[in-house]
Amino acid sequence: MNRRTTGGCLCGSVRYEIEGPLPPASACHCERCRRWQGALGIYSLAPSDRYKIKGQRHLAWYESSPGIRRGFCRVCGSKLFWERMGSGQLDVTLGSMDPPVGLKIEKQIKTEDAGDYYDPPP
Amino acid sequence: MEESDDRPVRATGRCLCGAIHFEIRGPLRDVVVCHCGQCRRQHGAPPSYTAAPWSNIKLGGASHLKWYQSSEQARRGFCRICGSSLFWEPIGSGRVSIAAGSLNKPTGLRTIRHIFVSDKADFYEITDGLEQLPYSMTAPAT
Repeated sequence: MNRRTTGGCLCGSVRYEIEGPLPPASACHCERCRRWQGALGIYSLAPSDRYKIKGQRHLAWYESSPGIRRGFCRVCGSKLFWERMGSGQLDVTLGSMDPPVGLKIEKQIKTEDAGDYYDPPP
Repeated sequence: MEESDDRPVRATGRCLCGAIHFEIRGPLRDVVVCHCGQCRRQHGAPPSYTAAPWSNIKLGGASHLKWYQSSEQARRGFCRICGSSLFWEPIGSGRVSIAAGSLNKPTGLRTIRHIFVSDKADFYEITDGLEQLPYSMTAPAT
């Protein structure tokens, strides 16, 4: 199955296209994702060379731990990407994708680190 | 912001990089998860919010807070350094919704409700058995 995924930030300054199928998503409950997104970190991923990103000048990166950086729109603050630098892969938030997304969440990760205001799924 | 407020601090929080930090006095609203398309895009996933009056919040690092007006009625506040989503403000209301993820544990808060479920995305299901509203507290004006 081949497919093309499109998405972008809330204000439209950053848009992306991803060629080819994407694997099912993971939902991350860690403190960094929670603080950054104010939500779970729900991501799929693809090799970086399958992305075409428009509006790169509006894309800001923050290195949240050594070798890990997070990409967001500097105009509207939308959370878009998570990257282990040098891996050749780029994670992308499902919330930034144009609906219908057509992906499911397969794994819940770092549930031991979840916020105390909800019960993480098993 | 109150200059001299001797009430106890109810909660503290910060963005991921710590450039913006805050203290909240007085009660916090229970947590509500919003499933609207605007929140989903901006947070990258459906966000959880508590809320409080601005007058109960003491904000540090405010020069790093950037606002984006996402509709005529509301604006969203995030850290310009790390991008963390912190606030959603109905403009002129005197109140602000605070991303629950930005609060330090223990928050003492519980999630009670899902809103704008009519706009939910297809990549997850709501399975916690909590109340679900199609829009916000009331249906939107037609």
